[in-house]
Amino acid sequence: MARRTILALGGHEFSRKLGNEAIRDYILALAPGPKPRICLLPTASGDPEDQITAFRASLGGLRCELSHLSLFRLEHEAVNLAPYLRAQDLIYVGGGSMVNLLAIWRAHGIDEILRDCWSHGVVLVGQSAGAMCWFDWGVTRSAGAARLVAGLGLVPGILSVHYHRDPERRRTLLDAVAERHIPGHGIDDGAGVIIRGRALTASVSARADAAAWRVTPDGRGRARETRLEAVQLPSPRPAIDEAPAAVIEMRSLRAARLAASRGAWSRR
Amino acid sequence: MRQIVTFGGGGFSMEAGNPLLDQFVLDLTGKQRPKVCFLPSASGDADHYIVRFYRHFSGEQCVPSHLSLFRRVKAPVDPREHLLDQDLIYVGGGSINSLLGVWAAHGIDEILHECWEKGVILCGVSAGSLCWFREAVSTFHGPAQRIEGLGFLPWSNTVHYSSEPPRREALFSWLGEGMTPAYAADDGAALHFVGEDVAQVVASRPGARAYRVELRHGHVVTTQLATRYLGDEAFVPLLRPVTMLEA
Repeated sequence: MARRTILALGGHEFSRKLGNEAIRDYILALAPGPKPRICLLPTASGDPEDQITAFRASLGGLRCELSHLSLFRLEHEAVNLAPYLRAQDLIYVGGGSMVNLLAIWRAHGIDEILRDCWSHGVVLVGQSAGAMCWFDWGVTRSAGAARLVAGLGLVPGILSVHYHRDPERRRTLLDAVAERHIPGHGIDDGAGVIIRGRALTASVSARADAAAWRVTPDGRGRARETRLEAVQLPSPRPAIDEAPAAVIEMRSLRAARLAASRGAWSRR
Repeated sequence: MRQIVTFGGGGFSMEAGNPLLDQFVLDLTGKQRPKVCFLPSASGDADHYIVRFYRHFSGEQCVPSHLSLFRRVKAPVDPREHLLDQDLIYVGGGSINSLLGVWAAHGIDEILHECWEKGVILCGVSAGSLCWFREAVSTFHGPAQRIEGLGFLPWSNTVHYSSEPPRREALFSWLGEGMTPAYAADDGAALHFVGEDVAQVVASRPGARAYRVELRHGHVVTTQLATRYLGDEAFVPLLRPVTMLEA
């Protein structure tokens, strides 16, 4: 059996912000061969043009061959899905709605095709919904409130993404681990975990404050979080993550106004 | 009264500048300012499609809204409550497989059935037409596919009928294999179902037609249905159904 590899990212986009390029370079390093074929599956967001454009802009010109598969626009090009996906070296699954992602994949038979790709050594990478889909369970907001949804089950346990940015997801994961006695992982934006076969073997981070966390039952009805030691990914150039001073000022003004108006409401 | 209107093609997304089919479904509600909800699921909730819906279904003639199933975090509305409150639900085109997959995942199929029973008018174009039937012929993914729809209407359906010959060939061969009798519509033609049966056929173009296609004594029989052109009150439609025998 070929080496099965999955990279699950807690939050990543194809932009120059917040270590995104460091993660992009790591993805490229994971892809085998001198000029690997990399295919984007933007299904979870409904195949939006901006996601496809950003993917092409970020990876274009680097040592890879790019393509994307829009299941919502297949009428323009008839694609034989199974051989097409099997011929890739790496498949990147974008974020969005995990529930929709899995429903659409099942409607097109892509869940089985990806399982087959995985067992034949195609590297599977995904962020947010595109990361959780490989696990037994994901903590999704597909219907608004955070809740557990079954994934494809290639990787055991529960995964929660955007871990410290979204306290409701974190709470949901902690409760689920405590109640169900299933191990879980939480991954921050800008961090990821590598799964070889079915075992988590490494964790990577592109930001000092980003990490992956193992969540286990503590034996007393609660859950315990352990921060995983991460390989720090070097940034190819300074990230653009600082908003201009004017924007920061505007945001703080708006926040103050919002707080004031909330106060006014509660006094009524 | 349970009503479904299925467009073979047309409406704001396919016939820019021709509002006849959209006006027809709005009028069908009998309301001065009907509540209309757009379901763009088959397109993956494409922004440009949603924008075009709001441009054509303006606040002057209706109370427009849309339900996005890809971005429910940003619009925490209860889909059931919202859909049951509508006068008209308008389903956009795109991928029928994806549409049915996403609806089932969010329980929208059951909600729509409830809406239909309650009297909310359901309509749609392309994939938004195919979805209501027991079976459908889709060519969205290249070669023709036989799709199982929601089954509110106990027939088969195909769309863009005269403009896409491969659909006809596929329909004929599947009818021979026991597919349910079909209603097929051209671009610009719409079938208006009351209950499970066709009440009338209307068209936004003088030449657009709808057909009943079925197997009789081993032959595929196509019956052209009398069609009312919506653009001209004085236009006399073809009232004599023309039966075409196919060997």
